[in-house]
Parts: sequence; C-alpha cells; structure tokens
Amino acid sequence: MSDVPAPPRLQSPGQLAWERFIARGSSRFGMVVMGLIVSVGIYAPFLSNELALVWWDKNGLSFPAFADLFNRRSYQKPHDLFFNVTALLLPPLLIIQWLVRQHVRISRRILGMVGIVVAVGLLCWAPFIPGKNGWTAAWDHRPFVEQNIQTWRELPPDSRPLAVFAPVKHRFDATYPGAVLQSPGTHNPLTGGTYWLGTDAGGHDVLTHLFFGARISLTVGLVATGLAFFIGIIIGAVSGYFGGWIDILLQRMVEIMMCFPTFILILTVVAMLDRDIFIIMVVIGLTGWAGVARLVRGEFLSHSVRDYVVAAEALGLPKWRIMFRHIMPNAIAPLIISATFGIAGSVGAESGLAFVGLGDPTTPSWGVLMEQGRQNIRYPWLIYTPGLAIFIIVMTLNLLGNNLREAIDPKNHR
Amino acid sequence: MLAYVIRRLLLMIPTFIGILIINFAVLRLQGPTLVEQMQVTGGMGEGATAGGGDRKVQGAAKDVENYLDRFRRSGNDLPAILNLRGFYNTADYARWLRDTVANGRHQDKPSARNKLEKELWLAGPQAVAPLVALVADEANADIHALAVQALTYCAYITLNPRDLSGLPASELQRIQQRNETLRNNRILHTNTREAGVTVVDPKAAEKRAVLLALFAEPQIQAEYAARSGGALSAMVFNTGFVDFMVKLATLDLYSESRKEYVFTVIADRWSITFWLNTIAILIAWAVSIPLGIRSARRIGTLEDRTTTTTLFLAWSMPSMFLGTLLLYHLCTDTAASKAWFPNRGLSSDGAMWFPTGAYLLDLLWHAFLPLVVLSYASFTALSRYMRANLLEQLDADYVRTARAKGCSDDTVVYGHASRNSLITMITLGSGLLAELFSGALIVELIFSIPGLGWLMLEAAVERDAPLLMGSTVISVSLLLVGILIADLLYAVADPRIRSRYV
Repeated sequence: MSDVPAPPRLQSPGQLAWERFIARGSSRFGMVVMGLIVSVGIYAPFLSNELALVWWDKNGLSFPAFADLFNRRSYQKPHDLFFNVTALLLPPLLIIQWLVRQHVRISRRILGMVGIVVAVGLLCWAPFIPGKNGWTAAWDHRPFVEQNIQTWRELPPDSRPLAVFAPVKHRFDATYPGAVLQSPGTHNPLTGGTYWLGTDAGGHDVLTHLFFGARISLTVGLVATGLAFFIGIIIGAVSGYFGGWIDILLQRMVEIMMCFPTFILILTVVAMLDRDIFIIMVVIGLTGWAGVARLVRGEFLSHSVRDYVVAAEALGLPKWRIMFRHIMPNAIAPLIISATFGIAGSVGAESGLAFVGLGDPTTPSWGVLMEQGRQNIRYPWLIYTPGLAIFIIVMTLNLLGNNLREAIDPKNHR
Repeated sequence: MLAYVIRRLLLMIPTFIGILIINFAVLRLQGPTLVEQMQVTGGMGEGATAGGGDRKVQGAAKDVENYLDRFRRSGNDLPAILNLRGFYNTADYARWLRDTVANGRHQDKPSARNKLEKELWLAGPQAVAPLVALVADEANADIHALAVQALTYCAYITLNPRDLSGLPASELQRIQQRNETLRNNRILHTNTREAGVTVVDPKAAEKRAVLLALFAEPQIQAEYAARSGGALSAMVFNTGFVDFMVKLATLDLYSESRKEYVFTVIADRWSITFWLNTIAILIAWAVSIPLGIRSARRIGTLEDRTTTTTLFLAWSMPSMFLGTLLLYHLCTDTAASKAWFPNRGLSSDGAMWFPTGAYLLDLLWHAFLPLVVLSYASFTALSRYMRANLLEQLDADYVRTARAKGCSDDTVVYGHASRNSLITMITLGSGLLAELFSGALIVELIFSIPGLGWLMLEAAVERDAPLLMGSTVISVSLLLVGILIADLLYAVADPRIRSRYV
C-alpha cells in the first residue's frame, strides 16, 4: 500500500501564474522595491519627525510622535490619516492574518485587512471621536510642542530627558528659517539634523518631502486607478453582457473618452476647479476609464456565450450575480495587469500636472518638488531627487505589470 | 469603398457631438460666478449710501458692466440647455425682486439675496419689457429702485471687438449713448432685510421718468424684442449650448485673458509646434521601426536583451525628468564652462538678420534638445510595440509556410510579417495628426518655446476656458480625421476589409 504514488499537486491557473511570476528575479526585485516604497510611505512620520518617538522625563514615559499620528492639526489631508492608521494597524493585522492563514483564503485575508484599515481610517474622520473637551477636541489640537528635538536641545545637557528621535529630524510641514535652497549635507542648527538631500525653495527638507511624497504618489495611484476601474468595469460589463443598443450607446461614450487628449482635459478641468490633490485624483480617474471599459467589454463578450454562463442563466440567477460573481473572476487577470500600468500612468499624470504648475501646492508631491527644480535650475538635487523617485516607482510598476502579463498570458512564454 | 467611408463618417458624428457636449460642460465649470467676481472688487453700486454719491455709483456700475461683458462674451449668462426666461411676466419679476429683499444679507459671504439679484441682472434683453412694465406700474413703488437697477443692467448692450470694428459709426455711437444713459439713471438706494429698499436719491422720480420715456420709444422696444427673440424659440436657441456651438462654428470664441479671438491666438502660435512635432515624429518613426524589427529578428541575443532593457528603462523615464536633466547639464552656464545649448526659445536674438545658412544652423542648435526629448518619448513606446507585434507575426503559421517554401529570411520579415504588422502601426499612427497639433506641452515648457503647448498651459493657469476649449476641439477634430485616414489605410493594407466593402 505504501507505494501508491502521491496524487499530483493540483494547481489553479492563478497559482501557476503566480509561480511563473515570482520565479523571475526581476519580479522579486520589483516586489521588494514596491514594498520599500509602500513602507516608507506608511512609516514616514517615524522616519522623519521633530517629535520624540519616546520621551521619558520625570512626568513619566510618553510617545509624542505616536500620539501625534491622529492629530488633525498636524496631518490635515485625509490620506495622511489613512496612512497613519495603517502604520499602527499593519503589524497586528499582519500577525493576525498569519495566524489564521490555515483557515481563511488569501483573498479574504487581504480584503479583511484592507477593510479594517479603511474602516478605521474613515472613523478618524467621523465627528464623534472622544476627547477631553467634547468629542473632537483631542483630534484637533497640537499638544507636543515641548517634546520635540528643538526644546530637547535647548535644555542643559544634564537635565535632558531620555528620548529617542526619528533618523531624520525635520517635520514635513515645517519651514526652517534660513534653510532655502541649501545644498545636501547642510547642517540644521535648530534641530541638530542634517539636510541629507538639501532643502527646497520653501525651506522644507527634501528627504522628508520625499518620504511624504511617497504617500501622495501611492494615494494618487490607488484612488485614481480605483475610480477609473470602478467606472470602467461597470460600463464595460454592462456593455459586454447586455449588448444591443446599450452596448452601442456605451461604446459611443467610450469612443468619446478615447478621443479626448487626456492630459489637456485633466489640465482644463483642474484649472477650472480648486487645485486640491483629491480633485486631481478624481479627475485623473474620471478621464482614465475608457481603456478599462473596452478591456472588460471584450472579456465579457467572449465569456457571455460560454457554457458556464448559460448554465448560470438557466438556473435563474440574477444578472448582476452572473456578471460579477461568475464572469468577473474569469476576466480578472488582464485587469490586474492593466491596473499595474494604470497606477504607473496616474502617478506619472499627477506629477506631470504638478510639474506644469497645476499641482496642489499644499501637498509635498514629488511633481511639485520637480517643478521647483525646473524653476531653480542651478539646484540639481531638486531635479534628481524627485525625478529618480518618480522614475523608480513608474519603472517598478511597469516591470511588475510586464512580468505579470508574461506570467498570466500563456501565449507569451519567452 | 465609398460606403465604407460614409459609414465611418457617420459613426464619427455622435462622437464629435459627445465631445462638444463634454467641452461645453467643462466650459460651464469655469471660474468664479458673477457674485464672486464682484465681491473681489466690492463694487455693487447699490450700497451707495449717504457717503457714496453719483460718481462712486457710476464707477461701480462700470465694474458690473465689465463683468456682464465677460459673461455675455463667454455665453455664461445664458441657461445651459433650456431658457425659460421668455415665459416670465411682470408679476414673476416683481416676486423675484421682493424675494431678493426678503432674503436678507450676510456680511461675509455671497448671500441668497445677492445671488438672486445678480442672476436677474444676467437675464438680458428678455427681461427688458416686463421690467419696464414693472417700473411703469405705481403699485410696485416699493421695489422701483431695484427694478430700475436690474433694468439698466439687462438693457445694457455688450459690444464685442468684432462689433466695434464692424458696426457703422452712427449705430455704435447710439448704443454707447444709450448705455451711458442707462448708467446715469440708476436710482441710489439702500437695501436691508429690516427696512427693505430705501430710496436715498433726490432725483429718483426724474430718473424713472427718463428711463420710462426712453423705453416708450417703439423703435427701442422693437430692438429689444428682436434681441430676445420669441419666448418659444429663445427657449431652445437662446441657450448656452447653442451659443457655444454657434461661436465655435463661426470661430467667435473669445479669450478674455488675451483680449483676442481664440482661433486668432491659436493661428499665431501653432506653426512652431507643428514643425517641431513633425520633425520629432519623423525621427521617432525612423528610429523605432528599424530598431523594433532588428530587435525582433535577433530575439534572445545579447543585443536584443540590451535593447529591450534600455528601451524599457527609457519608456519608464518621464520626459519631464529627462528634459529638466538636459536643461541642467547642457543648457546651464556653470563656473567651469559655458553651456553647450541655449536654454530658451528657438532662435538667438537678432537671428532674423542672419544669412539663411547661419539662421538654419541657429535654429537647429536651438531645436536639437527639444527634438531629442520629443522624439524619445514616442520612440520607446513605438519600438516596443513594433517588436512585440513582429514577434507575434513571426510565430504565425503563414510565416512557417513561407519559410518552408524556401523564402529567404529578409523576404519573410519584410515581405510577409511586416506587412501584417502594418495594421498595428497604422493604429498607432492614427493619433499622429492630433499629436502634430498638441503633443509638446512639457517640452515647450522646459525649453521655453512659445508654441501651442505653452499657450495652453498659460490658458490653464489663467483659467481661460474658451482658449482651452478651442484648442481641444481642434485637436479632437484632427484626431478624428486621423482615425478616418487610418480606417482608409486599413482598407488599403488589409484585403479582408477591402473585399467586405467593395
């Protein structure tokens, strides 16, 4: 009995594609780089902060930088709060998902993590957060002024409390007097830190700008692409599944969007509205759905005549269920590839917009930094730093998209 | 073949109309409203209380008239798709004016009262007749001052630059005189929630009589009636959308920031962009097609891998980064050396006096880096497409057949495979015509070349919607023409399409 051969390991097409994908060195490299960029984005407040991470004086132990994460005066943009929530929630969530890995499917685990982060992030913006003076007060003040590096350095050395500071000792929203366009390596007398990558025309530290700019780029990529895919999938699915005059009508809409010079349309709309980073994201998303719709329509057209769909229809399942629970999972592969390129495209579009001077001037986006580089052409660190950052994130996403395509598409095994 | 062309043309009509609708929607997003604009200058005229006096009121009236001019020139004074103003009668306007009084005002933000009132001012000639009836009626004495104010703005006639040069001098003078009369005969009043409208003008009765006498003339009544059209036809035709379409069709779009008609501005600027893009596209195609073919034929070799990797890296490199780098390294004077290339414009100072040869050299020297950045952006993508497409073709059965019957490698590649990848190349080329018109925004910005891209950027910064719309419409039309040409070329290149329609 013992020489019965073990049953062959069954692998789904997804698993096969994943194995082909991860077998390539460049894929692993790309994943590591993306992971680094995401971690830098998430943990930016711990990489670069004036506040002490740990502060131990006679009043006891405190963690000002951590408490500051939920301070709406410090982090005014919603995406910052989301990233801060993620920073705190990610380690426990990762541990939990590792503990339940035997019982829950990977897709559910990832969905659950994202769901929890989004829910808590939204909760931060809800008006009923408890605090000392009413419910919102704790989230709207800026308490930790005395626990930052500037006050620590002003104290006499023997009475300084025990404190741990971030590796880069600059705040992302602080401008330092006399720090305009300083070259890399200049010392900051106020915080005792060094401008490792120099400062920009507004007196911000470029390295800090770079860390927090990763947040903007990732948010733009995800929100704009997410919106484009949301619209594109719905329109494409309806168009491909129902056909007929709905299809003709929706195809006209897609054609109209395809014909528009996208960048000029974005430029026009952004020029007419406020230059807010979220408006920019939404506009990029709203102009980018046509390609997705066309892709999804093609998939749905080819799937809607297959046996399994006919069977589902014969069972009398509702149409939305057939569309999104039966056909959609079969059409997801090309969408993943396209999303990877889409994220790269939106990051490029946002920085291009900022580069031509139509970005959100209140956010530390990489494109804004690059525009300063163009205007102050003699300060090359303002060109190289953001330029390389944009180049690396776009290249990595393109690389991952390329490898995914080659892994998923069985025709393309070279 | 003709049926094919006609079919393609018919398919384009809904697309073009859809594009015009989106353009119109974007135009309606345009900047601050009348209320907001007037808050900036603070000139309302109506607040001319004790200290004010006639001079101040007239100055404020001028401001309002300037804004009305802007709104009427851009067509933003009209309702978007349905104009119901023609159906309002005197009683409706009386209610409207009483509402403005009842709605009170806040110190710091445009209140409901302000908004209602300014919307009334935008109503234009259609409101003239009912408002005159309202002013004539003694029963409305409580709102006469407000009605007179609204009447003078509605009756005010905007003169376009084209009117200024086109109308006969006597007619022009008559209109200007009437505008002047309207401006001078506004009744000074205060307007608060508590006290309602209080007339503070000693000459109120006189002014009202002057205005009533003016509008009693049948000639003027007929003129305003002609301007407003019938209520029914105005409902459909006197709307923002129709106005936009008419302005587009008659090339009447007016750019407020440049005080010039949009298509005149574009015509002045587009030749630079056209030549620059033509040369850049020629370079890009001349480099990318052979590169793609070469790479595909040598698949798997070190050369192919190097080319593919380099092209991949170049493809991911944003052209703004490359352009700025070139600007810094090659166009900026340093302490050690002088810059190799000029950093702005397309010609040196006084280049028009150079002899032809020197002039061309100077042009080349200036245009070299912009051309590099422009063509690089498209040739990376193009040669990747070419390579991938040719590889697909070389895998096909017909290529194996061709090889089996003994065709040489060159014949297979150039005679069979590349003919089939022509289809993809035609698709890629369909956007070329539009690219000639607007492809170079970032490059023109970096190298300070006064072309169309730069013009659009300035327009965007100045929130000049008509200028942006004008260039979008041109570029979309060119794209549609490009697609049409591509469709024709498909038929030329692909016998299957040809046979279906001949």
